[in-house]
Amino acid sequence: MTAAPQRRRPALTQYGAVVRKDTLQTVRDRRIMFMLVAAPLIQTILFGFAVDFDVDRVPTTVADLDGSSASREHVRRLLADGTLRRAGRVGSGAEADRRLDDDEAAAAVLLPPGYGDDVLAGRTARAQVLVDGTDPVRSGAAGSAASRFFGQVAQELARARLGPRSVAPPEVQVTPRVLYNPRLKTALFTVPGILSMLLVVVTTIVTAMGLAREREVGTLEQVLVTPIRPFVLLAGKMTPFIAIGLFDVLLALAAMTWIFDVPVRGPLPALALGTLLYLCSTLGVGLLISTVSSTQQQSFLGGFLFVLPATLLSGVMTPVSSMPTWLQPITWLNPLRFFADLVRGVLLRGAGFGDLALDLAALALFGAATLGLATVRFRRQLG
Amino acid sequence: MSPPRFLVRVWAMSAKETLHIRRDPRTLYLAFVMPVVMLLLFGYGVSFDVDRIPLAIADRDRSEASRALVDAFVRAGEFERVRDVAPDDGERLLRDGRAMAVLVVRPGYGRDVLRGEPGRAELLVDGADATTANQVLQKADAIARAATLRLGTRPGSAAPTLEVRTWTRYNPEARSAVFIVPGLTAYLMAIGAVLLTALALAGEFERGSMEQLFASPVGRFEIILGKLLPYLALGLLQLLLVVTAGATVFAVPIRGSLLLLFALGLTFLIGMLGQGLLISVIAKNQLVATQAGALSSLLPSLILSGMLFPVENMPRFLRLVSTLVPARYLVHGLRGVLLKGSGFGLVWPDLVAMALFAVAVLLAAVARFQRRVA
Repeated sequence: MTAAPQRRRPALTQYGAVVRKDTLQTVRDRRIMFMLVAAPLIQTILFGFAVDFDVDRVPTTVADLDGSSASREHVRRLLADGTLRRAGRVGSGAEADRRLDDDEAAAAVLLPPGYGDDVLAGRTARAQVLVDGTDPVRSGAAGSAASRFFGQVAQELARARLGPRSVAPPEVQVTPRVLYNPRLKTALFTVPGILSMLLVVVTTIVTAMGLAREREVGTLEQVLVTPIRPFVLLAGKMTPFIAIGLFDVLLALAAMTWIFDVPVRGPLPALALGTLLYLCSTLGVGLLISTVSSTQQQSFLGGFLFVLPATLLSGVMTPVSSMPTWLQPITWLNPLRFFADLVRGVLLRGAGFGDLALDLAALALFGAATLGLATVRFRRQLG
Repeated sequence: MSPPRFLVRVWAMSAKETLHIRRDPRTLYLAFVMPVVMLLLFGYGVSFDVDRIPLAIADRDRSEASRALVDAFVRAGEFERVRDVAPDDGERLLRDGRAMAVLVVRPGYGRDVLRGEPGRAELLVDGADATTANQVLQKADAIARAATLRLGTRPGSAAPTLEVRTWTRYNPEARSAVFIVPGLTAYLMAIGAVLLTALALAGEFERGSMEQLFASPVGRFEIILGKLLPYLALGLLQLLLVVTAGATVFAVPIRGSLLLLFALGLTFLIGMLGQGLLISVIAKNQLVATQAGALSSLLPSLILSGMLFPVENMPRFLRLVSTLVPARYLVHGLRGVLLKGSGFGLVWPDLVAMALFAVAVLLAAVARFQRRVA
């Protein structure tokens, strides 16, 4: 009775055996299990807090050489908005320079003597802003906060100068309406990205090294003399990692909605399907790498050589649209890019299967291509 | 006079390890190609300057004034007009990701402006990517202000009431590469030093060849030192390679002293090698060692070092954690030396912090190493 299905479908039985063996092997190694399950979760949370492009509290030193009531008032209002934080006071422009050199301040505001008189007398008042450009994001935010404030002041002064009787000059108002993330929290955007990044690190490198290790130790040879076919062997080896990857996503999803209030606006089955296809492609890349390397050290480096460009050119950290034009087509070869897009689409934009067709198709294509290629190479190595 | 026996043994160990590395050209190749590839990718690929933001236009007014406003947006340089849509279609375009923002001008805009009433337009922004959205808002604000000024100054313009000049120092063109390269150097050295060392040593434990070394007359300290020296040299070569490539390809300035630069790099490397050693002694297994190395060194170096995200923006708890990440001090020190021309007086705290870390991990590693063998 029990022997009959075995004879009819040996592939399935073999598959089951490989899955069982590899699951046991993985689960029994507590340290590997920790790396695979707990570490991605901890990091998603930790980095969700750390990765923050909202620039505020830029340390700013003030050189108010005028000291009039107007200059004091303007300085107070400039620092009140929160982007710039007062970091000391200096008595001259040269001293402000030195503060920037010493890293004690990242911006300086200079109001020259006579500033207040100019404002009162209706002459053109002059102010200077000095910004440390080392970090372009920070310097951009600081510069734009200062120019926004002084632009406002200029308008107020112009209006006051025209007097109450005159007609106010016409004005253009562009009212922004922010969709999907109205409070512009960075975490909503970065946390799903971080998750896709951690998943590629864990799955690709672990698969690549796992197989290389079996080859090094010689156990791969032993398995290959059994009647198990290469395809079945690879499929069986991947299955536990796919299960762990799906479990990771589930855990991280719970943490994201809990801790960072990341919404889940789209259908979860779309996310599940996308994750499955994505895992197939990252594991496929891992297998492919293991077929071209002979030691674990090589397969680790090879895995890294894939993982790093993949995370960089995925739009996880910086938007693809601001990469140079020649670099953008290369991102089309990157499964991570499509997965990150899919995760954000489902979670933040409420995209459904229809909107995600391109991402899903691309991931399916990558999965099929890398797995196919890995199997072919694996089989050829045996021949 | 023959050199002391200690040096002879260390030298022999180093020679053996160097041979190991040299006989594995693929690893060596990766150790040198990877930094260059990454430098190019980071330098070109990581750009925080948001431009070419896909903008859809829904101009229902079609007056002279509305066209002028649309023009102001398109000509600002940061936006790229992707298509004209009906106002109700704007949201759909945002959802499938074909546009990042939609400018909606209602009918009557031109009339209002002519009458001297505020002209109202609306900008729909995809907030999913908060960084880009923030920049879109800043830019839209600037464009609206400029448009207002143009309207106000048309009849008999008066002198401006206030003039602000903004100077940007150290990196006036706000090039991301100048910001990234010093940070990247720390990251690349962390990969090379921690992971290669951890892998090489864990490999010896795994294969059992470490036992053979212990059986030889070479002392434990000599083994460690001899094994680490070639990787130290490898790391310094990587530093040289990255700094040279950064200076030639991305025109990253080198304003401070090279000696100080290498002092920073050397102190950092010793700490990283110590960390790799500690990991391998604890893990004894290459797979575990890489994962532990990636978790304890690579990701913190990338995310908590201030390389990409300013440390002072982090929550207090993470700022505390980041004080334990040596890459943070290297990034700070390298930026100072390369971009600002800082001297020893400014970077000595970084040197001290990294030295403390190095001493701590090396002591821990040596202690573990001895206990394992006993």
